[in-house]
Formats: sequence, structure tokens, C-alpha cells
Amino acid sequence: MIELRNVSLKYGDREILNNISLTIADNSIKAILGPSGVGKSTILKLMLGLIKPNSGQVIIDGTDITKLKETELYPIRRKMGMVFQGNALFDSMTIDQNLGFFLRENLNLSEKEIESRVTEQIQFAGLEGYEDKLPESLSGGMRKRVAIGRALIFRPHMILFDEPTAGLDPVSSKKILTLISTLKKSNNLGAVIVTHIIDDVFNVADHVAVLYQGKMIFDDVVSKLHESTHPFILSILSDKILEL
Amino acid sequence: MNLAPATAFRKDINLRLKDFFLTMQEFFLFSLRAFLTIPKIKRYWRDFLDQATICGTDSIPIVLVSAISIGSLLAIEVGNLLEDFGAKTMLGRSTSISVIRELGPLLMGLMLSARFGARNGAELGAMQISEQIDALRAFGTDPVAKLVMPRLIAALVMFLPLTALSDYAGLHSAAYMAEHYHRLDPGMFWNAVYPRLAPKDFVVGFVKAPVFAIIITLVSSFNGFSARGGTAGVGRSTIKGIVVSSGLVLVANFYVSKIVLENM
Ligand SMILES: Nc1ncnc2c1ncn2[C@@H]1O[C@H](COP(=O)(O)OP(=O)(O)OP(=O)(O)O)[C@@H](O)[C@H]1O
Ligand SMILES: [Mg+2]
Repeated sequence: MIELRNVSLKYGDREILNNISLTIADNSIKAILGPSGVGKSTILKLMLGLIKPNSGQVIIDGTDITKLKETELYPIRRKMGMVFQGNALFDSMTIDQNLGFFLRENLNLSEKEIESRVTEQIQFAGLEGYEDKLPESLSGGMRKRVAIGRALIFRPHMILFDEPTAGLDPVSSKKILTLISTLKKSNNLGAVIVTHIIDDVFNVADHVAVLYQGKMIFDDVVSKLHESTHPFILSILSDKILEL
Repeated sequence: MNLAPATAFRKDINLRLKDFFLTMQEFFLFSLRAFLTIPKIKRYWRDFLDQATICGTDSIPIVLVSAISIGSLLAIEVGNLLEDFGAKTMLGRSTSISVIRELGPLLMGLMLSARFGARNGAELGAMQISEQIDALRAFGTDPVAKLVMPRLIAALVMFLPLTALSDYAGLHSAAYMAEHYHRLDPGMFWNAVYPRLAPKDFVVGFVKAPVFAIIITLVSSFNGFSARGGTAGVGRSTIKGIVVSSGLVLVANFYVSKIVLENM
């Protein structure tokens, strides 16, 4: 379980998050919606302990990670998979090596087992023939699929997606969203999905939180979104896609 | 009297000083981490081999060029000088000491700081701004162990043979110039080199290699890790890395010579 308790964060003098609280239960999918630059990616980084809040607590499975040292954070981060907004693929490694990275680093698997998992992921992502290519030679959508594969391959029980469907064609988007729902049912996967595509929210999320001007203006089950009277929520419901 | 500008100035200085000491502290912890993760070398063996190729094998041409130019230059200039005193037979002695102890290692250090340091700074800076370093951390991997430690070990290991190579090339190009430019008998040149070179002359040169390796790798990597603000930020941090590491190489060159020569 991931819990943010009264978290505030400033970059320099600029306040980004103001007393945010948020809970993501295991085996549930939470979407985070909000306009560009509001601090959605920042929230995901807080959950991994990549940055520290100015005040408040970030609690992962009962441990407040804001008090931990970098080395103590590693085992906690390994419970979560992260898909970065810009993919953050290791550009000096081939696609195969990118996918197998976590397995080689952190799990005691045989090379054969690693290869079979990587091959499985390659097929799933439709990247056959690109195994030995570097990320720079892939299209944007393909890179996104590698980034998602890299986070899913070690079967974490929580996965953090930063804009998983941005820049993908409708078929690939659908495939990824279906995958997330399937994994939730079959593997007890929990997920946090940052998105600006409201259809994604209705397709997979159980809960949705809306971040607006540093505050959570909505945090409830998806079906209640229609009952909100907040002007920002009304505008996104009518436009379907958030202005970027 | 209006004291506001003076107060603002003092505040600015205070902020800068605080910033400086914070950076120093960060750099210290970063360096400590690079050394403490050395036991993980087996896991990152491939990265070590890659880096050894980059800073070792690939640096051979530039080390040769700098050694040969400094060796021949010294032989010519010092030869001219000694000729005025009728002491050309001393040429071997004066050039070899300079090549092995001072100018040889110094020029090599500066060249490697430009070559290996620039590469580290730019590469790690690009990884920082594209969030690859955050991705490593997110996957529970220590980026210092994976990226900095192999570079440090590679430089520590490879700078020694590079020094030997630089000594060899420097001495031989000096001998070549002595023979062909100053018409000095090679036997006479080498006779003035070998019996006179003391162990400490070599120690000075070979102590400088690991010292430069540590300075260049850690300073350039630290600056790469601190890159912020897009491609321009990578440029800035790379330049800073080279300037600071070259400066420190100059200072270290002086102190290593002083300390070793005074104590041996
Ligand atoms: N390292 C940093 N230093 C200073 N300001 C930062 C830093 N990182 C982010 N910011 C600022 O914090 C705010 C929130 O950034 P964040 O990336 O979390 O936004 P976001 O909601 O993910 O936006 P988008 O939808 O465009 O990805 C932005 O205004 C950004 O300018
Ligand atoms: Mg973002």
C-alpha cells in the first residue's frame, strides 16, 4: 500500500504540492489527473523516494520512506515498477539488455530464465527483430512499449505509470490498458496511472484523484466523478482530453 | 547612509559560501560512495571493461602525441641551452628527469582530463537529464556503483601503463631529437639517462597516475550527476568538470612532486 500523508513540496520558492494526502490500496488502480505542470510526475517520484517532500510522510507498506537513507530505499523501490514519462531507457544498452536489466541486477535467476522472460516480453510488446537495437533506433511508441515491458518484467506488485498511453496509437493504448486490468486480476497488481486522457481513467481505473493548483480537488471512485461540481472537473469531463 | 547594497552583497556572499560548502559535502559523500562500492566490481565487470577500453586503449594515441611532443621539444630546447655552456652531454639527464617526473605526467594528466573527463561529464550529464540515473535508482540500483565506480577503477588501473608508455615514448623521442637535431651520440645520451635516474624519479611519475585518475574521474562524474536544465546544462556541467579537474591536476602535480621528493 502506498500512502501520502499531508505532503507538501516546494521547488525553491515555488510551492508545487500543498498538504496532499492520497492512498493507493494494493490490487487497485488509481488514476491521477491534472493539468500540465501541476506536479503529477513529482508525486510518482515522491512515492519512489527519488525526491523528498518538505513536510509530510510517504508510507510504503507501513514504512515511512521520507526518513530513510538512499541505500535503505533500494529494497523498497524494488517492490515497484516505474514507467517514466520520457521512458528513461538506458540508451547505451540494447532493447534486450534494457528489458533484462532489473532481472540481472536484483534477482538470482539463471541466464536461461532471464532470456526466456525477455523473449516473452519482446513478443508481447511486438518488438521482434529489435532485440539487439539501441533505443535510439526505435519509434516513440516502441520505446514506450519497452519502458512498460522493463517495468512489468519483474512482476512488481505495484506499478507507477507516467503517461503510459501518451503518443501511442489507439490499438497499442487499448492493449496496454487491457494488460493492466488483466494483471490486476491475475497477479494482484496495483497501479498508479498518471494520465491526461480521461478515457484511460474510465477504462481501467477504480479510483481517480484530481490534482489542481497544488491541491487534491477530488479523490474517490471513478463513477463519482460525474457528481463533482468543480469547474476544472466539469471542463475535463466535457472536453474528454485535458489541454496539454 | 544607505547600507542596503552592502547588506545585499553580504547576503549574496553568504548564500554562495553556503552553496559552496554544501557542494563540497555532497562531493565528499559522492567520492566516499564510489570507493565504498568497490567490492561490487564483480557485478559491474562488463562496465569496468568498457571503461578500461575507453580510458586506456582509446587514450593511447593522445598520450603518445603528448609524450612525443614534450620529449622532442625538451630535447631541442634544453639542448640549445646546454650547448651555450658546452654541456650537451648532460642532455639525457636533464630531459629525462623532466619527462618522467614533471612535464610528462602533467601533460598526460591534462590530456586525459580533457579526453576522459569530458566524456564522463557529457555522458553522465545526458543520463542525468534524460532521467536514466533516476531510472537506475528507481530499479534499486546504486547509480554510483554502476556508473562511477567502474570508471574509477578503470582509470586507476589504466593510468599506470599509460604513464609507462608516456615515459617510454617521451624518452625515446628525446633521444631521437638528441641524435638527429643536436648530433649527439645515442650512447652519450642514454649514459646520461640511466645511471642518474633514481627510483624516486619513477615513483613521482607513478604516484601521479592514480592521483590524477581519482581527481579526473570523480570530478567529471560528479559534475555529470549534477547536470540540470537540458542540453545547455550538460554543456555547462561538462565544462565545469574539465576546468575544475584540470586545475586540480595542476595543483596535485606540484604537491605530489614536492611531497615525494622531500621524503625520499
Ligand atoms: N527539478 C526541478 N526543479 C525545479 N522545478 C521543478 C523540477 N522538477 C519539476 N519542477 C516544476 O514542478 C512542477 C511540477 O512538475 P511535474 O513534472 O511534476 O509536472 P506534471 O504534472 O508531471 O506535468 P506534465 O503533465 O507536463 O508532465 C512544474 O511546474 C515544474 O516546472
Ligand atoms: Mg509529468
